[in-house]
Amino acid sequence: MNLLLVSIGGALGAVSRYLIGLMMQKRFPAPIIPVAMLSVNVMGSFGLGLFLGIIYGAIPVNAMQDSIYLVIGVGFFGAFTTFSTFSIETVQLFRELAYKKALLYITITIAGSLLLFISGLWIGSVGR
Amino acid sequence: MFKNILAVAAGGALGTLCRYFLNTQTLTFWHSSTIGTVLENLSGSLLLGLVTGFLVHRQTKEWVKLGLGTGFCGGFTTMSTLASDTLFLSPAHSMAPSVLYVAISLFGGIALAFAGILLGEKWGRKEGGQPS
Repeated sequence: MNLLLVSIGGALGAVSRYLIGLMMQKRFPAPIIPVAMLSVNVMGSFGLGLFLGIIYGAIPVNAMQDSIYLVIGVGFFGAFTTFSTFSIETVQLFRELAYKKALLYITITIAGSLLLFISGLWIGSVGR
Repeated sequence: MFKNILAVAAGGALGTLCRYFLNTQTLTFWHSSTIGTVLENLSGSLLLGLVTGFLVHRQTKEWVKLGLGTGFCGGFTTMSTLASDTLFLSPAHSMAPSVLYVAISLFGGIALAFAGILLGEKWGRKEGGQPS
């Protein structure tokens, strides 16, 4: 049962990331930094924070047995956001010798994901 | 388009399952799934590098690339859990574990992705891919 929940959330998260990526690519065909995955990652981090805030009021120590956490936390937001594409895009910027852009991309992604996660967590736990 | 979405969904489900499996394993052995997330993000970056590099000079069907890269590697690795882990690791008195966690993920992930791309390109050429 747990495996099914994780798979469904993961499939939905990955497809949402793919479709949003396509939409962003159409809207911003030549961005300074890869804005598609940047947006997906910060939005997904906000979403996970909000979800954890609403359901647990904090980051749970171990929620691996909760169905809702498996679908939404591990499955959907886990798969919606991505680290591997972020690494590859950063390497590609470095290879184009666009060091400033690479550092900008890294900084905004990490700082943005952390800040939006904290904001989501806070908003979610306040609204409990 | 439908085939592409299906490939991303299947790859995403499989990647997420692997991530879940690793997280529950590290939770059992080390009482923490954060190590699992680091392992996933590092190995997933290496794998996506290999795939990206290998396929760069090849005529590969779009759905295969999407299933492997966007689906599997994308679903296997995660940024939202990284954000959650970073905060979780930071008790009031020390930020050191969080800083270490982010540093290992970042430097390791980018270095492994780079190594993966270079290796993948080399293998892709060896396998008779056409230079573009």
